[in-house]
Amino acid sequence: MLTTVVGHYPKIPNRPRPARLRQAIARYERGEISRQELARIEDEVTIEVIQEQVEAGIDIVTDGQIRWEDDQTYIARRLSGFNINGLVRYLDTNTYFRQPVVVGEIRHRETFLVHDWRFAQEHSPRPVKAIVTGPITLARLSQDEHYRDHGRLVIALAEALAPEVRALAEAGAPIVQVNEPLILWHQEDLPLLRRALQIMLDGVTCETALYTWFGSIERVYPQLLELPVTTIGIDLVSQPRNWQVLGQHTFPTDRKLGAGIVDGRNTRLESVEEIVAAVRHLTRIVPPDRLYLNPSCGLEYLPREVAQDKLRRLAEGAHAARQALGVEA
Amino acid sequence: MREALLTSAVGSYPKPDYLVRARNAYAQGKLDVQELRQLERKATEYWVRVQERVGLDVLVHGEQERGDMVAYFAGEPGGVVIEGMKLGGLVRSYGNRYYHKPIIAGKLRWPGPMTVDMWRFTQSLTDRPVKGMLTGPYTMVEWSFNEYYPTREEAVMDMALVIREEVKALVAAGCRYIQIDEPAIHTRPEEDFDMAVEAFRRVVEGIDCEFHTHICYGPIEKIYPDVLRLPVRQIHLAFKNTGFQYLKLLEEHPWPSDKVLGVGVTDVHNHKVESVEEVVEDMKRVLKLLPPEQVWVLPDCGLKTRTPEEAEAKLRVMVEGVQRLKRELGLD
Repeated sequence: MLTTVVGHYPKIPNRPRPARLRQAIARYERGEISRQELARIEDEVTIEVIQEQVEAGIDIVTDGQIRWEDDQTYIARRLSGFNINGLVRYLDTNTYFRQPVVVGEIRHRETFLVHDWRFAQEHSPRPVKAIVTGPITLARLSQDEHYRDHGRLVIALAEALAPEVRALAEAGAPIVQVNEPLILWHQEDLPLLRRALQIMLDGVTCETALYTWFGSIERVYPQLLELPVTTIGIDLVSQPRNWQVLGQHTFPTDRKLGAGIVDGRNTRLESVEEIVAAVRHLTRIVPPDRLYLNPSCGLEYLPREVAQDKLRRLAEGAHAARQALGVEA
Repeated sequence: MREALLTSAVGSYPKPDYLVRARNAYAQGKLDVQELRQLERKATEYWVRVQERVGLDVLVHGEQERGDMVAYFAGEPGGVVIEGMKLGGLVRSYGNRYYHKPIIAGKLRWPGPMTVDMWRFTQSLTDRPVKGMLTGPYTMVEWSFNEYYPTREEAVMDMALVIREEVKALVAAGCRYIQIDEPAIHTRPEEDFDMAVEAFRRVVEGIDCEFHTHICYGPIEKIYPDVLRLPVRQIHLAFKNTGFQYLKLLEEHPWPSDKVLGVGVTDVHNHKVESVEEVVEDMKRVLKLLPPEQVWVLPDCGLKTRTPEEAEAKLRVMVEGVQRLKRELGLD
């Protein structure tokens, strides 16, 4: 029963700590510092946020996606075939991303996530999970002016992301996680997602995960469990009804559950008792050795200090739950 | 006939440099509140004169005292605090932009008049009516963290009571038009739309005043025609930014005769100033669907992201376009 995170982590702290990345980006945009100098700050902040996750007691961390402007454009800018357009709202949040526009054949250029992962792992005493945005989510949140066929676009994205995933696995990433929140709103994409994952994860032997958030799993849950990944990540906070759906099905013995039990979108801090109660409930459905405990989504919706408090509380709650249930970490 | 194609603005205007500096100094404790208030009023008067010389019919005070439309009410520096609210840490909204997201940390209560002094001051400067400007209960809650209420609905309904008290105070001070913005209302329409409408009803019910609302950027198609259930005289939408595509919605479901449509005719996120001809042509498309008595003309949204010169130029083009249109239609 390990603790982990879903993905991103707030990029800047609050006063009195300096907002170094914000300042560096502003200076870079004004032409006052070079791309290399900005990259150095991104590296330093990445190390900082890994340390914060580790200090909080999280077992499997990420690089905090510090270099990512958002889940879509970080990938889209590094593949061939995309332009980047104006701001659109990200799902039901009050955050916005620039919409990728597919204007040509989607192709892989050179690997980038593997560099990020290597750097993070070199600076982390804990295993670092690699994150990649999934092809359904990328396709659904982009504007397609080239393929004009959702299925072909998704497969092209899967083929372009496959070398990235393979490079991550070969470099030694312990877990490669595919983020697919949009599948919850597009159950018709499930067969397509299955094919896309087969392409992306072909020959990949490390542990894999598919994470979702914000939405109801009601219409997709049994099929999610049949996808060719080790772990399915589910947000149990935004949609309390997801608890019931979870309870209505037998959890397969060859899968793990990534249970989002700490609210990544609200500053209210859960109590240790609440977390223990959630874990007790979960272990009636999934045995502890096949359970990851994590926030309900990435943590960038919270101020940095609150994000760390949430992780600290998650680790405390997990510790108390292990003791209460008599299980090992 | 006088009441056809009235012009107004949505809310905010850019802050002059001296006020931006003063707000920063105040936030750092280097300026006292009287000096800040004095500069806010100086900037407000500037915008009143701009609106008068451009020729708007109904003015706004320009929100020179506000940073963010929600955080202002939650204790941002120089702002006011609704009881139960406080300012949280920085959260990124996009790119390299961050804002202090408010927190609902206790029972929400009206702290006494929050916007009345500024409204009264602004109205004292001019013979033209000045709108009261408030943020709606759904948006106030949706754009805050909630650490106190068990459900979003309970928070929204208590927030409605707070906003209602402020509305009453504005009306008591003599305010005839109050605009209550709900730009978050389309965040999750399937789940929350009825709740948002009910909260709005609780804000305005039984109060004698002309209410307007402004809703911007988002999937308007998901809330139209439901949005017509909002108990307001006028609904304002950002037409220009979306290339007047909302007209299709009005073709499919006609605008009701008891509501005024506020039409955004200048894009507030574009440095380019529209031409008078563009305004005239765009408005002619609107007037194929609605009589001029049922239409007001405004910018798409608050102009605070433009320079003061751009903001004035955009207002001027808008008013000139409306004047030309009125002449053509024989309305002047």
